[in-house]
Amino acid sequence: MTQMQHETSTAPAAAKQALPMLHIKIKILRFDPEKDRKAHWETYAIEAQAGDRVLDVINEVKWYHDHSLTFRRSCMHGICGSDAMLINGRNRLACKTLVRDVAKDGGTITIEPIRGLKVEKDLLVDMEPFFDSYKAIMPYFINESPAPAAERIQSEEEAERMAHSSNCILCACCTTSCPIFWVNGSYLGPASIVQAHRFIFDSRDEATQQRLNIMNQNTGVWRCRTAYNCTEACPRDIPITQLIEEVKRAVMYQQA
Amino acid sequence: MYKGREGQWAFLLHRLSGIAILAYLLIHVFSIGSFIFGERFYMAIHETYDWPIFRIGLVFITAGVVYHAFNGLRIIVMDFTGAGVAYQRQMWYGVMAVTVVSGLYAAWTLLPRLLGGY
Ligand code: HEM
Ligand code: SF4
Ligand code: SF4
Ligand code: FES
Repeated sequence: MTQMQHETSTAPAAAKQALPMLHIKIKILRFDPEKDRKAHWETYAIEAQAGDRVLDVINEVKWYHDHSLTFRRSCMHGICGSDAMLINGRNRLACKTLVRDVAKDGGTITIEPIRGLKVEKDLLVDMEPFFDSYKAIMPYFINESPAPAAERIQSEEEAERMAHSSNCILCACCTTSCPIFWVNGSYLGPASIVQAHRFIFDSRDEATQQRLNIMNQNTGVWRCRTAYNCTEACPRDIPITQLIEEVKRAVMYQQA
Repeated sequence: MYKGREGQWAFLLHRLSGIAILAYLLIHVFSIGSFIFGERFYMAIHETYDWPIFRIGLVFITAGVVYHAFNGLRIIVMDFTGAGVAYQRQMWYGVMAVTVVSGLYAAWTLLPRLLGGY
């Protein structure tokens, strides 16, 4: 190797060349409302690196195999919450799932739209019912008292109470993994309860009673049968079922 | 099938066992109560309980009642304590162990009836 080449080759590029390519099959549940009466599986043969994200692989399919493949994605870094899908039987964000965690060389990755919401096309579902439930819990800070001169102070313990629930990115991985939601779409669902938790346990918010009343309605927390699918699915590692149980107890002690 | 973990199966079994116990209770009340229509009617119903499906069903209904009762306690612990949520998986394996042992014990004591009928 000449001195010249040695200087220009950077470490990551060298590492990339050394990495073997995996040969995998991507099996996607496709549905085109203008052509199909039922969804059907299509399989694409792809080469990918173990460290690629499933989203890279789906982009590969769209860019080089079939332009008509439809799905949502935006930030590609697990922040916007737009690419929740059912990957190998579990809800995950495609941009936060590495190929090596779901497939080996010669293996298959199956990808389906999230369940319980109407499929518009391929992996794209109608999110309106999900956001209607979100709006139903009054997802905004309510405090009618005059604002203090400086900020509204919280203690560290008070901030800790709502630390988990304020991490939610509204990706719907949880709600669309919930067996209760699949059967009954009127259930507000874990995502909305997490959002409600964020305000119920915010020491500065003053609408706690109203919020607990919404949670106590028959579309609220009592629908949850503690199946834990939501907790397993959350890409933000929010202990969702634990938060739901906290809200259930808050409702119960308020009634008592 | 969605690849949920222990919690999903715990929920599904709880619902199925709950419905099974309810069905058993209704059939039980009806068939005992049928005595008001006379002994012949009562016996006609009870003879069908000799069918193999009802004999094996006894083992499953025992296991179902035990599962439902113990998993019910697991749910109560989860609903009232944070630790219950943290250890729900371990508790479920405990519930399953008790259920399987009771099912086997029921099968053992019912063995003559399972094989030979009344
Ligand atoms: C040992 C006595 C029992 C205990 C400790 C018990 C406990 C429970 C609990 C805690 C639940 C709530 C489930 C949840 O929140 O996810 C439940 C649900 C249920 N139980 Fe029981 N139960 C008992 C006996 C029975 C009996 C005798 C029947 C039938 C006649 C029954 C039928 C049901 C049904 C149908 C459900 C609804 C299941 C669901 O919503 O998924 N249970 N039980
Ligand atoms: S709680 Fe988790 S899974 Fe549910 S919407 Fe928020 S980030 Fe997504
Ligand atoms: S814990 Fe409750 S909200 Fe979460 S998946 Fe289970 S039933 Fe649904
Ligand atoms: S694309 Fe934004 S979360 Fe995956």
